[in-house]
Amino acid sequence: MPAAPHYDFVHAVAAIIAILALLSGLSLLLVKQVHEQVRAYAVLSAFAAGYTLLVGINRVDAALIVLGVWTALIKVIVIPISIDRAVTRQVSEHEVPLVVQVPMSLLIGVTLTGLAYWSASALPIHGALLPSPALGMPLSLVLIGFFFMITRQNVISQIVGLLTLENGVFIATVAIAPGLPFAIGFLLLLDLLPAVVFYGVFARLIAARAKTTSIEDMSVLRG
Amino acid sequence: MAVWILIMLALPLAAAAAGVVAGDRPVSGWLSVAAAAGSFAAALVLVFGFDAVRGRHALGTAFYLDALSGVFLIAVAFVYAVVAIYSVGYLLPGIGHVRLRRWYWPLLNLFGLALLATPVIANLGVLWVSVELTTVVSALLVTSEGTDESLEAGWKYIVIGSAGLALGLLGIVLMYAAGIPSLGDHYTPTYTTLVHAAPHLNGSLVRTGFAFALVGFGTKVGLVPMHAWLPDAHSEGPSPVSAMLSGALLAAALYAVLRIGAIAQRTVGPSYVHALLLVFGGLSLLLAAFFALRQSNYKRLLAYSSIEHMGIVSLGIGIGGPIAAYGAFFHVIVHAAGKTLAFFGAGDLLSRYETRDADEVRGVIRLAPFTGAMMLLGALAITGVPPFGIFRSELLIVTGGFSQSKYALAGLLVVFVNVAFVGVYQLFHRMVISPGEATARDRARLNRPEQPLMAVAMLASLAVVLVLGVWIPSPLNRLLHAAATVIGDSV
Repeated sequence: MPAAPHYDFVHAVAAIIAILALLSGLSLLLVKQVHEQVRAYAVLSAFAAGYTLLVGINRVDAALIVLGVWTALIKVIVIPISIDRAVTRQVSEHEVPLVVQVPMSLLIGVTLTGLAYWSASALPIHGALLPSPALGMPLSLVLIGFFFMITRQNVISQIVGLLTLENGVFIATVAIAPGLPFAIGFLLLLDLLPAVVFYGVFARLIAARAKTTSIEDMSVLRG
Repeated sequence: MAVWILIMLALPLAAAAAGVVAGDRPVSGWLSVAAAAGSFAAALVLVFGFDAVRGRHALGTAFYLDALSGVFLIAVAFVYAVVAIYSVGYLLPGIGHVRLRRWYWPLLNLFGLALLATPVIANLGVLWVSVELTTVVSALLVTSEGTDESLEAGWKYIVIGSAGLALGLLGIVLMYAAGIPSLGDHYTPTYTTLVHAAPHLNGSLVRTGFAFALVGFGTKVGLVPMHAWLPDAHSEGPSPVSAMLSGALLAAALYAVLRIGAIAQRTVGPSYVHALLLVFGGLSLLLAAFFALRQSNYKRLLAYSSIEHMGIVSLGIGIGGPIAAYGAFFHVIVHAAGKTLAFFGAGDLLSRYETRDADEVRGVIRLAPFTGAMMLLGALAITGVPPFGIFRSELLIVTGGFSQSKYALAGLLVVFVNVAFVGVYQLFHRMVISPGEATARDRARLNRPEQPLMAVAMLASLAVVLVLGVWIPSPLNRLLHAAATVIGDSV
């Protein structure tokens, strides 16, 4: 009979962070207000940063610890505040019209999570501290991010969806490739900054032109 | 070699910085032309002077140049150079409609920098950053006409492109994870490291990693069904930007796919990589050929033609064997020149007629003979009519298909290339040859003298696609043969 896997305190904390990250990803599907969506993203990012720090401490890897702190600084503070300040205050309406209503969104989100875990279980991979299948939670966030982007006709929501998706990829990177050279991890994170700046520029252009961040009218180009 | 790579990359960076300082003054344009021409010259020195066929690292393991890099580097550097020349003329008052002139040159040069860096970066993680950088700068260039349509196109591009690239990054991470059992927890994921370890990588992770990379970077290539951004961005951006997107960006993203594919096929065998390329390439060719038949927006038509050509290259690699792979790599170069010519012609036409609707354009050959001639020659070049280079590359791919006993694939390629030919040529023929009337006021605009720099850029593109149709210089021939061995069957 195979021995039962050994779970210590660190594994338990990692499992709790994974669950909370997944729940904060799903919570995105519940909120209609732009500000709340940005806040939900910040919470998700906090768990991503926390997980990175935990892996770094567990492996006694200074690079991962620095990456965790940097992640917290950029994704939990700088990006949410800049999105919030730069764009959402420019427009009067803050509630995003939904293509798919909340109950159905949540149902689809849970289904996507199941699909992600089922797909991830086929891969022979062990994640740093994460319960098996290691890629289940990150892939769930990727799919939820995609779904969120598709069903929210608003520039800010689409940015949040994109960043959620990116968070999923980031957690996957820390989980299955924690030894990825620090310089690359740092570069990837650094790359996010100009990207967000450019998203912001776009969002401002759209908001300035249409006095709204809704993209419902952006459907001229077809065929 | 490192010095030449640094020169090649430093020139566009310096031109971008100068553009920030000088703004939209003419000096920005001239500095950009000098930088782009210098980068092209440096690329030629790197590829042919340092014998890229052998494959070697530079600056430690920061850069890597082999035949595969060489093919894409030449294509990208050429397009950047002619686009810079064309843009100087296009930005003159009364010609091109570019509202965000202040940022045009810095963004164009940063775009050039990222494109030039992509084929020479050795580290797969940094390669991803480079491709991602192309998205953020080129998306703003797409919007630089300042219209509602261009804003919509730019937004779709940045959102779809970034989402796709996130999947591409996941693909690279999976490739990295596949190497952990044999290379250890901490290693630098350079191409050569992974290729040498390829037989020992985890097969199922490599398969999944390549699939993610293909879908992710394939989004930037414009492969169907991830192509939704491409027709909009190519048609709504200023024409020189469209040329850069079509001739260089798609190639650079395809390079990333092939680089990862070259690793994957050494681990799991070529059939898996080829099968995926055949599926996505075939779908792209099929859909683009039919969409080409129903377009009335001539720039949008050229965008669908780009999807078709990326499908052809993917099919060429997917067919396998040295002949088809050689043809596919040759296609990358001639498509870059041919499509640049076509978009330059379209830009010239747009500046005269001020419409993208082909139904409102008639008799170009009489009203603006040079533009008409360039448009028509561009259409003939990109539809693979002899003696243009694209005819030769497509013939090589079809021949490769027959030599591999893949008759059905070769047959389908011939059929859909001809469907696309009908779509593209009939529309351009109608615009250029069919008789049309113009009012006296319109006639003055249409008869505007040809802008010399725009003409030079068009003639340079025409010369490349024409000369390569009848003669392939032996260093290039050797490079293409060597590139075919990097990803072809002969591994």
